Amino acid sequence: MSEFISKKDLLTWLGQLMEERNLVAPTRVDDLLLFSKIDQVEDIVFDFDNTTLSPKEWFYPSSETLFYVEQKDGQTELIPAVIEKETAIFGIRPCDAQGMAMNDFPFLEEPADDLYRQHRDKTALIGLACITACPECFCSSMGSGPHDPANVDILLTEVADGYIAQVLTDKGKALLPDNLLTTADVSSPPAPVLSEVPSDGIAEKMRQAFDEPFWDRLADRCIHCNICSYVCPTCYCFDVRDYTDKERIERVRSWESCQSPGFTRIAGGHDPRSTKGSRLRQRFSHKLLYFPRQFGALGCIGCGRCVRACPVNIDIREIIQDVQQLEVKSEA
Amino acid sequence: MKPENPLLPYLSTLQELIDLTPDVKLFRLELNDPDIREGFDYKPGQFVFVSAFGVGESPFGITSVAHHKAGVDVAIRRVGTVTNALHQLEPGATVGVRGPFGNYFPLDEYKGKNIFIIGGGIGFAPLRPIITTVLDYREDYGDLVIINGARSPQDLVFAPEFDTWAASPKTKLELTVDAGNENWTGRVALIPSVVSELKLSPQNAIAITCGPPIMIHFTLIELRKLGFADNQIITTLEGKMKCGLGKCARCNVGDKYVCKDGPVFSMEQISQLIEQF
Ligand SMILES: Cc1cc2nc3c(=O)[nH]c(=O)nc-3n(C[C@H](O)[C@H](O)[C@H](O)COP(=O)(O)OP(=O)(O)OC[C@H]3O[C@@H](n4cnc5c(N)ncnc54)[C@H](O)[C@@H]3O)c2cc1C
Ligand code: SF4
Ligand code: SF4
Ligand code: FES
Repeated sequence: MSEFISKKDLLTWLGQLMEERNLVAPTRVDDLLLFSKIDQVEDIVFDFDNTTLSPKEWFYPSSETLFYVEQKDGQTELIPAVIEKETAIFGIRPCDAQGMAMNDFPFLEEPADDLYRQHRDKTALIGLACITACPECFCSSMGSGPHDPANVDILLTEVADGYIAQVLTDKGKALLPDNLLTTADVSSPPAPVLSEVPSDGIAEKMRQAFDEPFWDRLADRCIHCNICSYVCPTCYCFDVRDYTDKERIERVRSWESCQSPGFTRIAGGHDPRSTKGSRLRQRFSHKLLYFPRQFGALGCIGCGRCVRACPVNIDIREIIQDVQQLEVKSEA
Repeated sequence: MKPENPLLPYLSTLQELIDLTPDVKLFRLELNDPDIREGFDYKPGQFVFVSAFGVGESPFGITSVAHHKAGVDVAIRRVGTVTNALHQLEPGATVGVRGPFGNYFPLDEYKGKNIFIIGGGIGFAPLRPIITTVLDYREDYGDLVIINGARSPQDLVFAPEFDTWAASPKTKLELTVDAGNENWTGRVALIPSVVSELKLSPQNAIAITCGPPIMIHFTLIELRKLGFADNQIITTLEGKMKCGLGKCARCNVGDKYVCKDGPVFSMEQISQLIEQF
């Protein structure tokens, strides 16, 4: 027996959520599928593999004011940004929810990032289990899975005429009123089978492969368009700048990519990572070597977005495979 | 005192601005809030971000010592957007200070040892608090040799303190420039060759060096030739920094963050880093 919510009740419920808080869900924008703030539930897309951009935007916006500087009568005051409204994200995939949990490691590590924590505290995740596998994803090799309930507040799994609802946290309980749920004799469809990527022991292999010419050869075709970082749920590097063009001064944080040529350039022109090979190696080493060393978990959750988006087919699945098979010189 | 929002600077006042060289100024800063000021403790080697509001913020090594209880001093070389804006400020101006960040020189471990300070250009600034501490607690440490080098005589930082340093017990000051002028009677030599010429002894000693990458590179070679082991050579690393907290992921060298795990590293630690810069 499972808890069940009919499609009709789901729409009613989402409509209610929309009234009391920001409701964010997958929508179609031109030919992209994006998480957007919902004004009418009819705009929500239910049938999709995964969104073009990850949901990280809702925890860590591509550009966000950290604080405002107000200067009046020779006095300066700093006014930190405050997130007022609660948000519910509907339709987040288990892999992306895992991605947000990965971002918690650096952002919530003490001293925690204040804005990120506010977003995280004020946001509830209503996950949607994957019924079919997308060709590029490999989440079950990266610590998550298509039906993984670990990082959402509520997990919905589509069945005939409605959804099986697993209410997993207190946040979830507060969101979904009991009276919308019924008990039904339905069982979850089998989880789709995803392509396997040999991730076991990858951190150690990445360490051994670190000084291999492999990275330079691979990076040769990278055009540092940065789209891999842009679409990735777990790329979290940032830049900080002051802007004065509006009424008051603001300090703004924005996404940055380790693939962009000036990423590590310091005053005087010195750039410790001046080659494309060293920058490409940084992206994959951060996810598969440094992050595991720092936080004990892989920094890629296998959503496959960078695989789909890269214009020159640089493919993290192939990289993992190749690195596992590299005959490292020191071993030869 | 832990800030609730580590990206929010403490409002601070520029108390005094002193020209050290044609392009380096000493900024004497005081945190405005008395409680925060009281709890603001720091150690030699740590750094702060200083904000010119409306322009941005940049990291600078603290060049004062906390035990003097006289605020936070940084020596800033004018090289780009933020440093230019800071150089334009007048005493009394409001700036932002975040920090202190990073690890520090483990001075307690250096007690009883001979200490060689080798700094080039603006890289000398973060080494000054070591000198101040050693001279304030003179009996705790062995001999102190200070090598301060710059492109030209007017680029040597902290000239007003040279006489005091040179006259201190068990202390030797060696100034050197790449190119002298008509008034300069001192050394004209590159820092690494001064290190070699002075025949610094590795016996019970620690060598601490900071400066441009090329200077550090050749200084290391000389120190190793003199017999210094890698755990006797201490230096600082630089990196592009946007947070100081290990969050912006800009300043990593392999799996270490310069802002959090550094900026102070021994050569032994550096040689074990995954990524070599
Ligand atoms: C730990 C540490 C301690 C430092 N201590 C001192 C010091 O005591 N005195 C001093 O004069 N300089 C010091 N620097 C260097 C100083 O931070 C840079 O000169 C300064 O950031 C240049 O900023 P800018 O905007 O003027 O230059 P721009 O070239 O316009 O720089 C733009 C941005 O790039 C970043 N950036 C550029 N160069 C550096 C750099 N070298 N290090 C880190 N970020 C950089 C900054 O975020 C800066 O806002 C230190 C750097 C680090 C990392
Ligand atoms: S998407 Fe591909 S081409 Fe673009 S920066 Fe990333 S690896 Fe390079
Ligand atoms: S690295 Fe690629 S596959 Fe992994 S989480 Fe990021 S976008 Fe997804
Ligand atoms: S300065 Fe942000 S991680 Fe080091």
